[in-house]
Amino acid sequence: MSETTIATDKAPAVEVKNLSKHYGPVKALRNVDLTIAAGEYFVLLGPSGGGKTTLLRTIGGFHKPTEGQVLLHGRDMSHLPPDKRPTTMVFQAYALFPHMTVLQNVSYGLKVAGIDRKQAEEKAAAMMDVVGLSGFAERKPHELSGGQQQRVQLARALVLDRDILLLDEPLAALDAQLRKDMCLELKHLQEKVGITFIHVTHNQEEAMTVADRIALVADGNLVEHGKARDIYRAPVKKFTASFVGENNMLSGRVSDVNGVSCTVDVAGSQLVVQKRGQQVAHGQPVDLSIRSELVQLSRANGSNNAGDGHSILGSYDEAVYLGLTTSHLVRLPNGVEMTSRTISDAVDDLPTPGDPVRLHWQPEAIRLHTS
Amino acid sequence: MTDEYANPWLYRLKWLYMLLLVVTLMSPVLYVMYISFNANGFGARAYDFTFEWYRLVFSDTLLLNALRWTLTLAVVVTCITVPFAVLAAKYYKTAQNKLPIVFLLLAPLFVPPDILGSALLVYFKSLNASFIWLGDQLGTSMFDGWFRLSFFTAVIGLIIYTIPYAFIVVLITMGRYRTEQTEAARACGADGWRAFWDIEFPQIRAGVFSACSFCVILVFNEYTRTSLLKGGFDTFTTVLISQMLNTGMSPQSYAMSSMVAFTAIAIIGSIIIFTLIRTESLSRLARAKAEPVMSS
Amino acid sequence: MASLTTNSPGGAARSAGETSAVWRERVGRWIFYLPLAFMVVFFAVPMALTVVFSFFERTMFWMEPAFTLFSYNNFFFSARLENFLTSMKYSALAVVICFIFGFPIAVFIRRSIPQVAQHRVILLFILPFMVSEIIRVFALRPVLQRNGLVNTTLMDWGLIDEPITSLLYTHTGVVIGEVLSFLPFIVFAGFLAMEAVPKFIFEVCDDLGVGHRRRFTDVILPLAAPGIFAGAVFIFVNGLGVALLPNILGGPGAVNAGLIATQAITALDFPLAMAVSAIMMATLMGLLYIGHRLFDLTKILTPLN
Repeated sequence: MSETTIATDKAPAVEVKNLSKHYGPVKALRNVDLTIAAGEYFVLLGPSGGGKTTLLRTIGGFHKPTEGQVLLHGRDMSHLPPDKRPTTMVFQAYALFPHMTVLQNVSYGLKVAGIDRKQAEEKAAAMMDVVGLSGFAERKPHELSGGQQQRVQLARALVLDRDILLLDEPLAALDAQLRKDMCLELKHLQEKVGITFIHVTHNQEEAMTVADRIALVADGNLVEHGKARDIYRAPVKKFTASFVGENNMLSGRVSDVNGVSCTVDVAGSQLVVQKRGQQVAHGQPVDLSIRSELVQLSRANGSNNAGDGHSILGSYDEAVYLGLTTSHLVRLPNGVEMTSRTISDAVDDLPTPGDPVRLHWQPEAIRLHTS
Repeated sequence: MTDEYANPWLYRLKWLYMLLLVVTLMSPVLYVMYISFNANGFGARAYDFTFEWYRLVFSDTLLLNALRWTLTLAVVVTCITVPFAVLAAKYYKTAQNKLPIVFLLLAPLFVPPDILGSALLVYFKSLNASFIWLGDQLGTSMFDGWFRLSFFTAVIGLIIYTIPYAFIVVLITMGRYRTEQTEAARACGADGWRAFWDIEFPQIRAGVFSACSFCVILVFNEYTRTSLLKGGFDTFTTVLISQMLNTGMSPQSYAMSSMVAFTAIAIIGSIIIFTLIRTESLSRLARAKAEPVMSS
Repeated sequence: MASLTTNSPGGAARSAGETSAVWRERVGRWIFYLPLAFMVVFFAVPMALTVVFSFFERTMFWMEPAFTLFSYNNFFFSARLENFLTSMKYSALAVVICFIFGFPIAVFIRRSIPQVAQHRVILLFILPFMVSEIIRVFALRPVLQRNGLVNTTLMDWGLIDEPITSLLYTHTGVVIGEVLSFLPFIVFAGFLAMEAVPKFIFEVCDDLGVGHRRRFTDVILPLAAPGIFAGAVFIFVNGLGVALLPNILGGPGAVNAGLIATQAITALDFPLAMAVSAIMMATLMGLLYIGHRLFDLTKILTPLN
């Protein structure tokens, strides 16, 4: 890959500037700005219909932007068709050429580029080894399993040596176990070939497995982006908190502001939370989030004291056994349900439904969201 | 596929009814074929089998001339209609608002031949008049005769007539490929034209060929629109009609009609047999190759 | 990976073809409008202009711009209207007969014939179209006439003593011709329509113990209605518009719109022909509009998407 990036080393692989895409009255993308560095594994994560696929396809040249620009390696390519861009794509499914063998599929792009047949087939065979398809060269696509078909797509795209690979929900059609395995393989493959991968998915586990960085896309907006770990541990936006991880979402009003933290009134309990640079005013409605595995459960010891600002009282509802973990559902006085997740069988003395319980956490575990 | 509890005799009876209906619909055709082999011609009591009339067709200059015109017409119309149908079907597949396309391309199906023929006739006549007037105003005669009734106007009328059929046939086969395949080809570096020839066309080939044969057959058999819009030449059907209404059909005409019918039936028959063999061999191939697949 | 590198994207070599590619892409998009433009210019406009021309004044060999209701007067206050209405009645009868004979076949093909064979069985019904309609219609004469195939057969079987003379050169003859010409269309339309009736519906009905008649009226008919309607309109309008049928098979009074139009053309009364065409188009549009409001006719093509 070395000489392909010399001229453009400084420019990021993808720059999206103020991009909008409208379908009549429907706004699929609204003023999206995004920069993806060369050699990065970047994931666009979000709910279905949120615009992430539209964004990916606009980068690939399958949609024309209504407004804004797509820069690839620093060059504006908004007007170019897909075949003239340095990108290539892996589709969700059904994208293999059914009338060609696996080898013909993989070498198709090389054939189009005018490379002679023998050389193209050698190169295609080499790439098929890389993705684990050796021995399948003469099969037709309909004789392959779903996972194999996606491998063919990967080989077909990677053999072209383009330096940006777009993946549109590549694993969505596979069953859960296979998806897990292929996630890891994708990650390793990207490390091996070193080109930029941009991967669209609605599955957060998949996103966490493969991503260097993640961008959340919902409702046509780019909500938040950052390192995969940061997105999970320290979401800034309320949407991110509700979409990534299993967060308890609480809403309340600011009752006191002091220095770096503030106090929020949630169902009568005063909870202390760090502001992390956000501006809040007295009486402002805000949201709080806390991941369920950071919430600990204990029996309420007689007193109904709201306590230290890092705990809340409620009544025990039920335990949901999930194998590795068990979720304890607790109902707060205002009717909201909170979840505390523990390693199964770690607690042997479970409260019975209706028992008063206390949920508490470390002071830095809870996060404030003003938007 | 059939119900396991259903009465097999009822099933056979339904088949019988269907075939009987097909034969009834075909009866005029079969009757024409029957007559065409009779040495005594139509209406005669006696029946002597002969190929004589078929031989005579090739010395009947009137019929042969008409046949030549009809063939030219059929080829030209097919060469325009089928690409149009493919373009329209491709556009239909990606279009947001499909209603205008469906309306424009299928509406001719619902307009009776005489109505379409008269409307186009008057349209062409007035276009011709307007163009001549325009030429006079500009002092040029280059516009004269663009829309005088001619081969050209007949072609236009027949394109309008055949396009709904070609569109439907192509559209049905187009369901076979998915837009993702074309996009994948684009992502592999093929331009739109290349992607069409490499990926889409091989998959709709059967539909395109069927559409072509339908067009040729429809043009061959069409009378009303052709006779209203043609210039000073005769086609196969206009010769037949003038014979019927004047002297009665000549035995050669029966032979000619039967020949057209035989050809057409052979085309349809070969389509049926070809697709039958193809699906059969494909499924056999699939069975043979689909050995236990290694883990993925 | 480095050994596999050959063509480098983003380089100068790539950008050379870019401007022409963009240009081609743009032209390529316009090409798709070509068939639609053709249909507008040579189909939609001529059909719309029939209305304009129908108000023109007749001259000796042609017509001249005017606004006169003469042609409509000529149509509505003469025997033509009566003929038109009569042909409507018989055309509707042909639709009903076609439906009764043809639709069960569509159901049968969809339900009881294996999926892969269905299209081939449908092709059987295309066979009659392989012979020109004029020959098929003309060949009905020797079949239906006084000493024709039908009468002789029936008399040989002893079912009748006297030959039935009303089979030809009457309205009956025209209806028979219409049924034999158009029956395949209700099979095609019904076949497309039955795509809207999933196969499991039959199993559900069996499971619920729904009888055959209830199943037909409560389940199949409503689901297949758009397709049936399209087929019925097709037959009805063609029954009104194909001049050939009454011309060859009909007797006195069997004159439909198509025949009126062609007779007007032969008599060089172009405004009258245009008025008839306009009336036919209005009938067709009216029927399609009603159908669209009732069933949403775009559903017919959903199986093709």
